[in-house]
Amino acid sequence: MRLQLLALLAAVAGLAVSIYLTAVHYAGVPLACPTTSTVNCEAVLSSSYAVIAGSPVPTSAAGIAWFALSACIAAAVLLARGATKWTRVQLAWSAIGLVTILYLVFIEIVRLGVICAWCSVAHSLVLLIFLIALPRPGAPPARE
Amino acid sequence: MSRRPNAKRAAQLRKPVSNTPSWIVPAAVVGGIAVLVVAFLVIRWYTTPLPPKPLAVDATQQVVAQLAGIPATELDSVGAGSANNRFKKISASPLTGPTGKPAVLYYGAEFCPYCAAQRWPLIVALSRFGVFSGLQTTSSSSTDIYPNTPTFTFHGSTYTSQYIDFESVEASDRNQNPLESPTAAQQALISQYDTGGSIPFIDVGNRFESEGAMYLPDILAGMSWQAIATALSDPSTPQAKAILGAANLITAAVCDTTGNMPAAVCSATSIQAIQKQLG
Repeated sequence: MRLQLLALLAAVAGLAVSIYLTAVHYAGVPLACPTTSTVNCEAVLSSSYAVIAGSPVPTSAAGIAWFALSACIAAAVLLARGATKWTRVQLAWSAIGLVTILYLVFIEIVRLGVICAWCSVAHSLVLLIFLIALPRPGAPPARE
Repeated sequence: MSRRPNAKRAAQLRKPVSNTPSWIVPAAVVGGIAVLVVAFLVIRWYTTPLPPKPLAVDATQQVVAQLAGIPATELDSVGAGSANNRFKKISASPLTGPTGKPAVLYYGAEFCPYCAAQRWPLIVALSRFGVFSGLQTTSSSSTDIYPNTPTFTFHGSTYTSQYIDFESVEASDRNQNPLESPTAAQQALISQYDTGGSIPFIDVGNRFESEGAMYLPDILAGMSWQAIATALSDPSTPQAKAILGAANLITAAVCDTTGNMPAAVCSATSIQAIQKQLG
């Protein structure tokens, strides 16, 4: 249950990061982020990959939705006090998140050649939630 | 009698599972992701284009002549194209150059990929008002975003025009070594208007200023200077839409400072339309 509390806190932290990035996108104000030859938030967030499929909606808006739902799922697992169908939902949802961030990391490293520090924080939180959602050996099966 | 073998089998099945440390699966996932990230870095290293060899003087002059010779009808047909208008109107005393004509100030650096992109339309636009000489080809940094973007450098070049003066400052070379420093007056303008410290910074006669490139440099990736110049002869290419569109935005801003002279350039339909947008 302590791990699920950690998942809930990670989801809330990710939600805060995503809201910040989305607010900066729409406000058009400079991002608080160091700029070096390998870290450049501005370059990543102003690239064509920083919006959803050519729309004006930033990718961070999808992050808001993902982390918000992750927080709800973690809360549901906490309230259920143990392995339930919610743990399976959490695993499936966090797997979707993990695949998405692997794609985004691919874009950052291979296509753009720079890393966005804020995005990396959000990616780490997605990974953390996925690791928490993984079934542990010897754990009782999920209850319906 | 029959329960005993089943219990034994169940115990045999459970035993290996219960002995598996709980950290094994998360550690395997983290290890797998680390391997993927290393693979991404290898792909990046393998696919990054090598810095193109700068062109010889003759070949460079040929490309610059192509840029200066883009037909007015083609420029007019592109309009603002796909360029992002980054000009902001400013109200200050007119900026004049050494000869007293309206001045265009460019502040950038050779390593900077956005400067690399922005030099193309700047050269196309200013070539409509005057003549460049001594331009040399170069490319942006190999280790920055949009590596090795083909471009020119204003370092060591001259520009003559009967309408405007052009002042350029290339602060660093492509390896980020210091190259040129702005004068006190240029630095004052940069500090006043380029508060975010973004390059390239362009001040058109203290009427308009822009920071950053008007299009993304990725459309120039892997292309030679000649290939880009050739692409500009076809108004339907992504390069023409971006570079000629940005050139028209710059042209319209410059026309604002020259009293719409020369008329052959500034009276074009697209320039007039863009001037209305600029305000």
